[in-house]
Amino acid sequence: MINIDIGATAVAVLTLFGIYALMAISLNLEYGVAGVPNFGQALFVSIGAYVAGLTYTRLLPLLAGEQVIHPCRQTMGQALQLRSEIMAAQPVAGFINLAITFIVAAILAGLVGFAVSYVTLRLKEEWFLALVLLVGGEIVRIVVRGADDLICSHNGISGVAQPFYFLDDPRASAVLFMLLALVLAAIAYFYSQRLVHSPFGRMLKGLRENEDVTRSLGKGISLARARIMLIGSMIAAVGGVLFALNTGFVNTNDYVVTLTLDIWVMVVLGGVGNNRGALLGALLIAIMDRITQIAAIVLNMSGSPIEFNYARFILFGVILLLMLRYRPGGLLPESPLTTNAHEVLRRVQGR
Amino acid sequence: MPTALLVTSVVNTIQIGSLYALMALGITLTFSVIRLPNFAHAEYVTVGAFAALIVSLSGEVNPFVIMTAAFVVGAVVALVSHLAVFKPLEGRNVSLYTLILSSFAVGLILRYILFMMADYFNLFDTRIRIPLQIIYREGPLILTNVFAWVAPTSIVLVLLLTTLLNGTPLGREMRALANSPSLARVIGIPVERVKNYTWVLVGGLAGVAGALWGLQTAVSPLMGWVAILSVFAAAILGGLSSFSGTILGAYVVAFSENTVMLFLNFNFGVDLAYKPAIPFFIIIVVLLIRPQGFTELFNRGRDLQR
Repeated sequence: MINIDIGATAVAVLTLFGIYALMAISLNLEYGVAGVPNFGQALFVSIGAYVAGLTYTRLLPLLAGEQVIHPCRQTMGQALQLRSEIMAAQPVAGFINLAITFIVAAILAGLVGFAVSYVTLRLKEEWFLALVLLVGGEIVRIVVRGADDLICSHNGISGVAQPFYFLDDPRASAVLFMLLALVLAAIAYFYSQRLVHSPFGRMLKGLRENEDVTRSLGKGISLARARIMLIGSMIAAVGGVLFALNTGFVNTNDYVVTLTLDIWVMVVLGGVGNNRGALLGALLIAIMDRITQIAAIVLNMSGSPIEFNYARFILFGVILLLMLRYRPGGLLPESPLTTNAHEVLRRVQGR
Repeated sequence: MPTALLVTSVVNTIQIGSLYALMALGITLTFSVIRLPNFAHAEYVTVGAFAALIVSLSGEVNPFVIMTAAFVVGAVVALVSHLAVFKPLEGRNVSLYTLILSSFAVGLILRYILFMMADYFNLFDTRIRIPLQIIYREGPLILTNVFAWVAPTSIVLVLLLTTLLNGTPLGREMRALANSPSLARVIGIPVERVKNYTWVLVGGLAGVAGALWGLQTAVSPLMGWVAILSVFAAAILGGLSSFSGTILGAYVVAFSENTVMLFLNFNFGVDLAYKPAIPFFIIIVVLLIRPQGFTELFNRGRDLQR
């Protein structure tokens, strides 16, 4: 049997929870609240990851005052060594680089999300948007993989170290990184809670329920869609940066439709249209991820002929089907929105 | 571009285009009759390929037996997924996104069950065992018995399916259902039974397509999934409703993936790694600019109108 370090496992699960929470909140704002079927969530996550791959190889050496070594081909090893040296010796350069990565990734993804939402105006059937987003994500992936120099095509870029790598104690750096992920997730959560309870959030829900009625009330629906796609994509890209830092490398193979489906499972499991539900879904999926990983290792070591890693996907598929059929609202269904006016009304009626 | 390359790519276009047509007709049929953009269709193909592979590993060499097995297994899997997943959801009047999502889930489950099975029985990267023979050789043109099986079988099946749709009572009922489910119900068409037959047909043909696909390349749990968006591109070119349009779309997609790609590669140095992006571009361009696809090119009276 293997020894499972409970502390390290908890840190890993909570880090993953923070990252997944960002992705789930983003999809929940887009689909759960505004009804935009984003089947291309992997695209917006991947923008964050690709930007991280670029800044860590091109910008980081500049910030540290070193010469930029081309990260691909023969110089791959050298470039990797330079990266880890800088990350270990010059934490300030690492932090500045990370901040720039977040900003660039969020802006880029936001712009793509904004642009994509205008595509909806031209589509004949509503579900075509789901297909366009799905396919758009795949195109970007293929183009990035095909372009040799961006993130070294098939090889990907490794050594995208997390910012607390310079600490001598790996446990401390893992805990700090976990806190960073959790803090960012918390900011995203409180921001989206405010957004959902704002007039703009109520309008989005109206848009989701009935487009014509919302339009008849004089609301500009295409701009509203574009705005929520912008916000959602920015949050997803921040999640993507953290995802890349957490795995330590950027490879196009990680940002396929399967990732999009994972995020959908989180939202559908937790609760469509409810930010708390998105958090719960992210937590449950992070835990399940880790459990299936450990189970697969244990089973492999005990000589089981069944490869348990595949069971994770079967499990996720079954969860999705069961939820869609028996609890379409999720574990924490959306509660009706109340405003101050409702409060007043209830008090008056109660009297 | 050298002639040898051109000839090979055109042969590939015919072979792969015919298979795409066989699969894309299934997508068009489910979308029209069942009103479901079924992404699990990919896995019916893979399931059929594995059924064919297992039968052929047991020593069977008669392609008809192999394909019948693939048809039966594909049909059963499709029908079961309908009865267990899609039908209960349809009864609840859920949104289209829920249906799309559940078809993804069905595909995911099937795909990874196949992964587990392939891993357990060591079936990765095996071909369906039919001895390879060269049947025709003329200059750069080489045709094997695989081509002789794949292209004619799929073309015959496509023609059979078209005849069934246009000339039999079942086909008429399917078209009525595609046109208006409530009207079909009102005039006494046994809607549920017609739906079941549709699933059997769709799954069975996908299974046969898988078996044929497994003749030309190795069988893998990902084979259907890799092809599914090309197949969707073909169906979208057919406006997701026209049979003739879908068949034409299938050849257009195969032609762009093979001949056009090689042409771009040879003359403009476009890397072959971009090949998978071609059907995606087709999907986006068609959906944005011409969502009706090729439908207006053909007589619409006999097609699946929605």
